[in-house]
Amino acid sequence: MACVSASVAHSQRELLTFPLAPAIRAKLSSAGFLTVADLNNVKPSQLSKEAGIALEDALEVVKIISGEGKTPMPSQSALELLEQEQNLPSIVTFCAKLDGVLGGGVTLRQVTEICGAPGVGKTQMCIQLAVDASIPEELGGAGGEAVYIDTEGSFIVERVADIAMATADHCHRMAASADDVDIGNYTMETILAGIHYFRCHDHIELLATIHLLTTFVQKHPKVRVIVVDSIAFPFRHNFDDLSMRTRLLTSMAQSCIQLATNFDLAVSVCAWEMMMMTIMMMILTSMAQSCIQLATNFDLAVVLTNQMTTRFTLGSNGSQLMPALGESWGHACTVRLILFWENSQRHAMLYKSPSHRETTVLYQITTGGIRDVISRKTCSDHEPQEADGTESAVTKRPRLA
Amino acid sequence: MAAKRLQRLDISDELKERLARQGLTTCAVLQDVLAKSPLELMKLSGRSGLTVHDLVHRCCLSQAVKPVTALHLLKSRERGGTFFATSLPDLDKVLHGGIPTATMTEIAGPAGCGKTQFSMTLSVLATLPVEDGGLGGGVVYIDTEGAFSAKRLLEIAQTRLPQQFQDDSSLKELASQVHIVSVQSCKNLMNRLQSIEEDLIQKKIKLMVLDSVASLVRKEYSNVQGGMMRRTDFLASEAALLKYIAETFSIPVIVTNQITTRYGQRAPVSSPHTPDDGDGSVEVDGEGSYLTAALGNTWSHSVNTRLILQYLAGDRRQILVAKSPVAPFTCFDFIITKKGVEQDVQGQGHYKGTDPGKQAIQGRAGLSVGSTQW
Repeated sequence: MACVSASVAHSQRELLTFPLAPAIRAKLSSAGFLTVADLNNVKPSQLSKEAGIALEDALEVVKIISGEGKTPMPSQSALELLEQEQNLPSIVTFCAKLDGVLGGGVTLRQVTEICGAPGVGKTQMCIQLAVDASIPEELGGAGGEAVYIDTEGSFIVERVADIAMATADHCHRMAASADDVDIGNYTMETILAGIHYFRCHDHIELLATIHLLTTFVQKHPKVRVIVVDSIAFPFRHNFDDLSMRTRLLTSMAQSCIQLATNFDLAVSVCAWEMMMMTIMMMILTSMAQSCIQLATNFDLAVVLTNQMTTRFTLGSNGSQLMPALGESWGHACTVRLILFWENSQRHAMLYKSPSHRETTVLYQITTGGIRDVISRKTCSDHEPQEADGTESAVTKRPRLA
Repeated sequence: MAAKRLQRLDISDELKERLARQGLTTCAVLQDVLAKSPLELMKLSGRSGLTVHDLVHRCCLSQAVKPVTALHLLKSRERGGTFFATSLPDLDKVLHGGIPTATMTEIAGPAGCGKTQFSMTLSVLATLPVEDGGLGGGVVYIDTEGAFSAKRLLEIAQTRLPQQFQDDSSLKELASQVHIVSVQSCKNLMNRLQSIEEDLIQKKIKLMVLDSVASLVRKEYSNVQGGMMRRTDFLASEAALLKYIAETFSIPVIVTNQITTRYGQRAPVSSPHTPDDGDGSVEVDGEGSYLTAALGNTWSHSVNTRLILQYLAGDRRQILVAKSPVAPFTCFDFIITKKGVEQDVQGQGHYKGTDPGKQAIQGRAGLSVGSTQW
């Protein structure tokens, strides 16, 4: 490709490529305005006369053309990127092994997906991360606030208070052992005051809220993590609307073929479900793009949770659990973590990451939140805990009689 | 929850008309707008990118959710009424006070284990005044199996609180506060739930029970022709509606569920108090199959809390906390008496939990042939 300077390239750009109204575009091209250079120094009144369009429309055209004429972003060297990345704090999970696997914790400027079976701890992980975003910078944390978007309704604030209390205690203990660290005003209350909770009931509310997060984050620049729990929920139900149904069924069949190949759908799935998947994928893609933009533009971490769905596989007897939302969604997130059960223990597997390889670690959920599993015996055939409930103090357990 | 119509948005009439001609005035219109790419919207509205961007922005503003800080939530909940005590003391302790309001709690278990008894006990408790541990309001009991017995309800009330229910008038008042809704089909159920707000407000309902969510869907959706996918869709929208009702009215919603047999696999972990083979699996029902909560994996995600009732050796029964945002895997023995469901003094403890959709449930032991006189 020939190397042209940015401004020359811009003036050669065809007007057709700008987001102008179709009718206006047609009038401009029939009046002979084909590239940006043709509109140089043309005043809106002139344009309006020559192209036969209203004054307001002419003004809009001029605004759009000049608005898009910014010089392109300079490229960054890998060294600059490295320095940037190293200076960014991570959001820890408090399970040291898991943080190690993630490279220090959940990284800022990235979208991380956590998928898992029900009851494995996705919501607990989300709450832990939302609380950990506030860990003071003096202790290596992000020292910021969190946005928690809840679509499941499992955000029980009393539990958040427990985890916040445990985190604050832990931090105070760490600060006490270091000399010059003062985090006096880091309490459960200040942590909770920095968690902004949005409850979305369906995919429209979720989509609208994510769209508007840019404005919210601009007004609350201390936000360091955005958690969405979960992104799968609003899409699992039907989009039953008769008029939309008819409208969609009359649209192209091409997307059906595309879907069949993307989703490995069997032929017997009816057309309606396929159409629904198109809409679903469009909405998901739009949300994924918003999330990526938020993460990179505002230097924050976006964490999404996903459900597992049962995929009935022919050949192997039974079914497999796979992350929900299909294969195409798998491309949307930078980092993918899968939480699963095995031998009655919770495992976390790093499934997709640009910089770390696939590893599986154990974790557990305690009254204070997510923690490492402390292995007592190295080689033992029996589970470490007794059937009558005498476990070590680290496991999540209130004082029972 | 219904999406706003384009009509009510603050955009020019001409634009509204243009969009209406393209068919964008229906209830799901904002979804239509938000689901389309900017290019498509430009084609539909005949406007430029700037206007379209503004239109999308206004749609989002009208639909977006207002945030509240977690601290604010905590303070508003401290005023009470956030947990509904079940009267099983250790269960309440572990659940941070009881069944959380504004969420959906599921009670799953084999037939005859006590799900309906538990629901009826909770119904009685809900009508009690707040000072006595109740919710001080009415109950909507959606009955799909015809299992509700008014007589039993009154017996529970009278035996549990003889002072309060000494005379007939107090019993009558209790009976008048529990509203039974009988539904026979899934569609019927959804319609009823959509229109239930009036009842909830007028009758000051503080608890909703759906007994059971499984019976209707298992009748109507079978495993043929993508029926399972439709069943999952139906359950997901039902869950969304129930949770919406729970949250809007800050009431607990309790649903009961049945059990199903999983074939070809061993149970992931042994239940407490049952002998296991040493490798953690149990043969419950024959060759490598075991019982679990019905309705599948997606439904397990949808419920906020899952309590499983199961049988133990002999006549004993047990309640397991299988999924909870606040409680660990704990189990408690219970018995069914005239007072309803009561906790047994022995048998509290922890158990090795697992995926609540796969947790093995012990069914009732059959009658052993040969030792009984026929």
